Amino acid sequence: MFSSYRLYARGLDTIRPMDTFDTSHIRNFSIVAHIDHGKSTISDRILELTNTVEERDMESQLLDTMDIERERGITIKSNAVRVMYTADDGETYQFNLIDTPGHVDFTYEVSRSLAACEGAVLVVDATQGVEAQTVSNANLAMNADLDIVPAINKIDLPSAHPEEVKIEIEDELAIPADDAVCVSGKTGEGIHDLLEAIVFLISPPAGDADAPLKALILDSYFDEYRGVVATVRVIDGRIRKGDQLVMMQKGHGFLVDGVGVKRPAETLVDELAVGEVGFVVTGLKDPEAVHVGDTLTYRDRPCAEPLPGYREAKPMVYTGIFPIDNKDYENLRDALEKLRVNDPSLIWTPETSVALGFGFRVGFLGLLHMEVVKERLEREFDLDLIATSPSVDYHVFKTDGEMLCVRSPQDLPDVTRIDHIEEPFLKAKVIVPPEYTGAVMQLSIEHRGVMTDMVHLSQKSVEMRFDIPLAELILDFFDQLKSRTKGYASLDYDFADYRTSELVKLDILLSGDEVDALSFIVHKDKAYALARGLCDKLKEIIPRQLFEVPIQGAIGNKIIARSTVKARRKDVLAKCYGGDISRKRKLLEKQKEGKKRMKAIGSVEVPQEAFLAILKVED
Amino acid sequence: MPIEALYIHIPFCHAKCSYCDFDSRACNGISLERAASVYLDRLCNRLDSFGAAGAFAHVATVYIGGGTPTVLGSRLPWLVKRVREWCDPVEFTVEANPESFDAPLAGELACSGVTRVSIGVQSFVDDELRAIGRLHDTPSARAAIEAALSSGLDTSCDLMCGLPGQTLASWNHSLDVAIACAPGHVSVYPLTIEEGTPLARRAEADPTLDPDEDFQAECMELAGDRLLHAGFERYEVASYAKPGKICRHNCAYWTGASYLGIGRSAASMVAADELRMFANLFGMSESDGGAARIRLVQKDDEATRFELECLGAREAMAEDLMLAMRMTAGAPVTLLEQARDVIGKVRVDEAIARALHQGLAAIDSVTGALQPTERGWLLGNELYGLMWDLASS
Repeated sequence: MFSSYRLYARGLDTIRPMDTFDTSHIRNFSIVAHIDHGKSTISDRILELTNTVEERDMESQLLDTMDIERERGITIKSNAVRVMYTADDGETYQFNLIDTPGHVDFTYEVSRSLAACEGAVLVVDATQGVEAQTVSNANLAMNADLDIVPAINKIDLPSAHPEEVKIEIEDELAIPADDAVCVSGKTGEGIHDLLEAIVFLISPPAGDADAPLKALILDSYFDEYRGVVATVRVIDGRIRKGDQLVMMQKGHGFLVDGVGVKRPAETLVDELAVGEVGFVVTGLKDPEAVHVGDTLTYRDRPCAEPLPGYREAKPMVYTGIFPIDNKDYENLRDALEKLRVNDPSLIWTPETSVALGFGFRVGFLGLLHMEVVKERLEREFDLDLIATSPSVDYHVFKTDGEMLCVRSPQDLPDVTRIDHIEEPFLKAKVIVPPEYTGAVMQLSIEHRGVMTDMVHLSQKSVEMRFDIPLAELILDFFDQLKSRTKGYASLDYDFADYRTSELVKLDILLSGDEVDALSFIVHKDKAYALARGLCDKLKEIIPRQLFEVPIQGAIGNKIIARSTVKARRKDVLAKCYGGDISRKRKLLEKQKEGKKRMKAIGSVEVPQEAFLAILKVED
Repeated sequence: MPIEALYIHIPFCHAKCSYCDFDSRACNGISLERAASVYLDRLCNRLDSFGAAGAFAHVATVYIGGGTPTVLGSRLPWLVKRVREWCDPVEFTVEANPESFDAPLAGELACSGVTRVSIGVQSFVDDELRAIGRLHDTPSARAAIEAALSSGLDTSCDLMCGLPGQTLASWNHSLDVAIACAPGHVSVYPLTIEEGTPLARRAEADPTLDPDEDFQAECMELAGDRLLHAGFERYEVASYAKPGKICRHNCAYWTGASYLGIGRSAASMVAADELRMFANLFGMSESDGGAARIRLVQKDDEATRFELECLGAREAMAEDLMLAMRMTAGAPVTLLEQARDVIGKVRVDEAIARALHQGLAAIDSVTGALQPTERGWLLGNELYGLMWDLASS
């Protein structure tokens, strides 16, 4: 179900993208933007204006094909679509449009996509101006040597101030903004100008059609019937069905089963020529065989050297992922492997929990990434899963001098054998209007942050820098920052270093038994408040049972907080006559189904969300 | 097992109560007259067809429910006589609401052959009655019970706990009045908010209307204590009776006896071999091969559409156990033995052990029957769930 593309494409006969295009008529570009600045709507308009999609088939967020993307209105996966555009000069150009994610968690997807492009359309919201991700995406694009076309979006809004945004683009990004195109993804205004700008401002691909094949694997997904399907950018040479290819890093070879392009439905073509972007059906059944970032070449006539690979995305957050039903363990492993084909940032190791049985400790780029992966595993592979409290990578120095990397509270050695623990710190950069600096400072203090610098960038924005533990940032920091600054703050961060902190392991006991999957590593000074908050939250989440369930928070043997889920007193439907009997039985069955989604820990039925209760504890 | 119980549904009320999701339409005056006469014609046709097919030969109990059967007025005694043309039940119950039940009607019903009236009192506090959209008030409820008793009818009184605005004191007051009125039978129901009812919509806006389970538990316990003290015996989770006054018809539902239901939304339950006698009356040519028990619900006034549910031997057995757990008598040794044969000893004994371990049921030391405990009354769904689980292998 990775390719749930609806059939939007027009008939093969009308497309003619298989006509050989000389590279001067090809434009490969990405659209990059801060989240919510409207790149998906602009992509939709481009598809519409170039008649790639008939108006009647038009629905919003066309390139976001995953259900999660559409529901949340975000882009998670990159997507490459071919569009034909007849420009004002009368020539027809082939555009390969690569949509990219906007959230900070998915930055690495952006850099992958950019490697396939010669240019980028940088979308900036005409009402909000340059934001954190505008800056980081612009930097990524400039580092990749791309031609940048600034586009100022949402000019239909009354609060739009495009002239000021142009100045911001020049001042903050050092990108000339005289040629910036003013557009409205909503009304379609200016989209034609944007297409013309793409033709004239973005360079055509360079490349040698006669050289040995050199193609970059941008992305891949697993298809039940066709095996691994890889999205590629041809740098030199061409790919045709029947070609014998080899992946230069992994070494696997395969016979090309077919090549095609997305318009946005998948359409087979005769060849992917030099400079073009499209997909290759590999027929490979092992998801692990294809590595995103690898270079494809001919088996018999290889290119001299592979393209530089990508910087591997480093996970920041680790959580335990367990199937509710232990029988699903192998299915979960399979699902993770299949998901990794198109999300190479995923890493995992097996983990065993007394409470939850066998599962995996999975590394994520951030909490949004975690949520998305968990949701995709549940939906696309029909699994019921429990995710446990997120943890970072702690360095634990033992009294015997050994250093352990601990990503799960369960792996923490006994306190008597710990000399000290170091935790990762970040250098965080927050840009806010001056009136919110107090609120941000307060928030930073609450999260053990230390302010290192504060600079007035302009009358309207202040840049605050502080060092903050990663563990604090991964919980609710970002949401809190947004809510306390009414959404004005932007956040960017980089790894700083490891620092010694006084950390303790907080255990949770249900009915007197420690539940390892609920343990959490926390700073000593915050342990009491967190224990209390967690006990109260769990009391809300755990439904009343037949017996009273005491919930306790403990550090070592010391109980520091407690709450109680009272025993359920009444659960009966008293009226049950002739016609009611079938209905009552169905109700009992429904109750039982509900219980199946819970995990029995000892005699206590615990709902999935209890294991992430830590994310819901309010300060 | 021949058919012992006959149920007849009258889907009319003067007004629809805000918590009710039973099949009934609010009707008054001339429109009620018209609708009722068409409905009763069809009903009598069905009655005669079943009667002619010999379905009523062993009927021991009849129950006319609704809706509010008493909105039919003098047509109701007429209907009773029509039923009695086909059978001679020892118990004949009619459901009644105080606003449409008075001494003359009580007398007529008694004369026509009704033996028992079940009165929808719900509460003896006027504010609580108004809150759930009842049409009657406390004096008329007292008068209705009085009228029924004076006509020599066995009388039951329904009470509900967890009503909006109800307190433990007001509940106690309702119990006081009920006991003082001296009916032979009392039913106690905790209010449940059913989807799609006006009360459910109100509760969505005002969560305080959602009945508090702890409060309802206290009410049910208090009712048990007070009624037991007043000489009632609890014979089912919601039913209390003075000696000799239990409702035989309802017991049929809980003991796996066969019953026929006539009228829209009425349910019939028959063994597969019985159905053969009158399968054509349900629009079926023959009964389903593998089924041990068949339940049919009439979906329309004309009796042309039926919802069919077929239970296998194992499911029927599990259903019997589930229903037995509603009753004080519980599951007798013979039923448990039968269950071990049909379902398998290991599974049945496992379920029994769990029920005992969780304190939901106990074994009677004399008879060996598995009976619900006080805790098993209040946490009935756990206990019933344990038994119904046995239906799946």
